[in-house]
Amino acid sequence: MTALALSLVVPWGAGLVLTLLDGRRPLVGWLAVAALAANLVALVALAASVLPDGSVTATTGNWPAGVGIALRADALGVLFALLSSLALLASTVHEVLEGVRERTFPGVVVLLAAGLTGVFLTGDLFNFYVFFELAMTAGYLLATYGGGRRELGAALVFTTVNLLGTFIFLLSVAGVYHVTGTLEMSGIAARMDDVDANAALMLAVGFFVAFSVKLGLFPFHFWLPTVYTGARPAVAAILSGGLANIGAYGLLRFGGELLPEELDLAAGALIAIGSASILYGGVLAVSRRSASEMLAYSAIGQVGYVLVAIGVGGPVGFAAAILYTVVNALNKTLLFLTAQMRGAIVGAAFALGALSVAGVPPAAGFVGKLELFRATADSPALLALLLLGSALSFVYAFQTYQYDFWRGERRGRHSTVVQQGVIAALALLVLAAGVWPEPLLALSNDAAELLAGGDR
Amino acid sequence: MSLVFALAAAALFGTGAYLLLDRDLVRVVFGVVLISQAAVLTLVASGLTRGAAPIYPLSEGTVSDPLSQAMALTAIVIGLAVTALLLVLVLRVVQAYRSPELAELAAYEAEREARLERVHDREHAEEEAAAR
Repeated sequence: MTALALSLVVPWGAGLVLTLLDGRRPLVGWLAVAALAANLVALVALAASVLPDGSVTATTGNWPAGVGIALRADALGVLFALLSSLALLASTVHEVLEGVRERTFPGVVVLLAAGLTGVFLTGDLFNFYVFFELAMTAGYLLATYGGGRRELGAALVFTTVNLLGTFIFLLSVAGVYHVTGTLEMSGIAARMDDVDANAALMLAVGFFVAFSVKLGLFPFHFWLPTVYTGARPAVAAILSGGLANIGAYGLLRFGGELLPEELDLAAGALIAIGSASILYGGVLAVSRRSASEMLAYSAIGQVGYVLVAIGVGGPVGFAAAILYTVVNALNKTLLFLTAQMRGAIVGAAFALGALSVAGVPPAAGFVGKLELFRATADSPALLALLLLGSALSFVYAFQTYQYDFWRGERRGRHSTVVQQGVIAALALLVLAAGVWPEPLLALSNDAAELLAGGDR
Repeated sequence: MSLVFALAAAALFGTGAYLLLDRDLVRVVFGVVLISQAAVLTLVASGLTRGAAPIYPLSEGTVSDPLSQAMALTAIVIGLAVTALLLVLVLRVVQAYRSPELAELAAYEAEREARLERVHDREHAEEEAAAR
C-alpha cells in the first residue's frame, strides 16, 4: 500500500519540481536519476509484496470503495512497471553522462515514469486514459529532444498520429462506460458478458487500434521509423523500451481480461496482422545499413511476435507474449543506447543484444523464442513463420554488426567508462535472463494466469 | 436524443479526419481539435441518466449522470493542453523548415534518404571493384 503510493507520488512530485529547474546542469540530471531510482526501488518493494499474495489494491483519497479511484497492483502491472522504470533509468543515466542538451529533459523523463507507473498500476478505465495521456505527452516532448529539423518533423508526425490513437481510445472508454455502467476494470470484466456482441466488438476494435498505434504494428507503423531514427539514442531507447510497453500491456489487459470473447473471435486476424508485421519489419530491416534504422524496422517485426502470441491466447500464449515483451524491451533499450557508441565493450554488448534479437542462446531472446514456439507448437505454418522471422532477424542484426564493428565503419564519439558500464550492465542483464530464466518465466506465468480467467 | 449525439460526433470526427489529412499543418491541428471534441461529445452522451443538474441539494426526479460530465471536463482540459503543445510544435516546425506545409517535411526526408542511398551505392561499387 505504501509502496504503491510512493511509486506514483515520488516521480510525480519530483517531475514537477525538476521541470522548473535547468536540466542542462549535471546536478539536476542526477536528481532525475535519483527520482527514477527511487521509483524503481518502490516498485521492487511493491513487487515483493504483490508476487507472493496476489494483488494489492488501494482507493485514492480514503474514499469508500466504488466511489474513489481504484489503484490495483497485480503481477502483470508490476512486471511492466518494473521493466519500463528500468529502461528509463538506464537511458537517463546514459544521457546525463552524455550531457543533457535541453532544460526540460530530466523533468519530462521523470514525469514519463509517473505516467507509465500509473498506467500499469491503475484499476480504473478513465484513470488509465489520464495516465496514458500523461505518459504520451511526455513522450511527445521527448521526441522533440535535440531540436533539429529531423527531430521536430518526426515529433510532429509522432504527436499527431498518437493523438488520434488516444482519442480513439477515449471514444472506446466512453462506449465501455455506456454499455457496462462502470469504469472499474474488475467490474467491466464481469459485466461484459451481458453486453450486446456488436457493441462489444466495436469497442474492442477501438482499443485494438489505439494500442496498435502505440506498438507500431504493421498497418499502423508508418510513424515509427521516422521517429526512432530521428530521435537521439537515449530518446529512442526510452520510447521503444519504456513507452511502447503501454501498447503490449493494453492489448494484454484489455484483450485478455476485459474482452476475452472478442479476443477469441479476432484471434485469426491478430495472428495475420502479427505475421505481416514480422515479415515486413524483418525484410525492411535487412535492407537498412544504419543501426538506428535497422532497429526501428526490427521494432516493428518484434512486436509482431507479441501479437501472434496474444492471438494464440490461453495461459501459454499470454505467458509467451508477456515474456517476449520483457525481452524485447530489454533488447531495444540496450541496442538503441549503443547506436552511437564505439569500442570493444560496446561491440560485445551489441553482439549480445543481436543474439537476443535473433533468439540464439545464451541470450534472453532465446527463452522468449522458446516460449513462442511452445505457444504455437500446434500449427506448422506459424512455426515456419517464426523460424523465417528469426532467420531474418539473425541476418539483419549481424549484418549491422559486421558493418559497424568488424569493418569499423561506425562513426561516433568515444564514450565514457561509466556509459560503457551502463551498456555492460544491461547486456549482462540480458545474458542473465537467458542463462537463468526461471524467475522471469515464473513471473510471466503468474501474470498470464491472471489474464486467462484465473481470478475473475 | 442519442441519435443526434451520435450524428454530431460522427460529423465532428469525419470533418476532423478530413482536416488531419490536409497538407497545411494548421489545418492538421484543427483536425486533431475536432476529433478531440468528438470524443468529448461522446463522453457526454455516454451518461446513463439524463435530467436535472447533479448539484446538491438534489432535486426530485432523475439527475443526469455526474460521472460522464466529470470525464468530459477532464477530457476537455487534457485536450486543451495537448492542443497548446501541438500548436507550439507546429510553430517550431514552421520556424525550422520555413514553411507551414507538410510536403516540405516529406521532401526533406526523401532527400536525406536519397543521399544515404547514393553513399551506400558508391561504397558498394567500391567494394565490388576491390573484390575484383
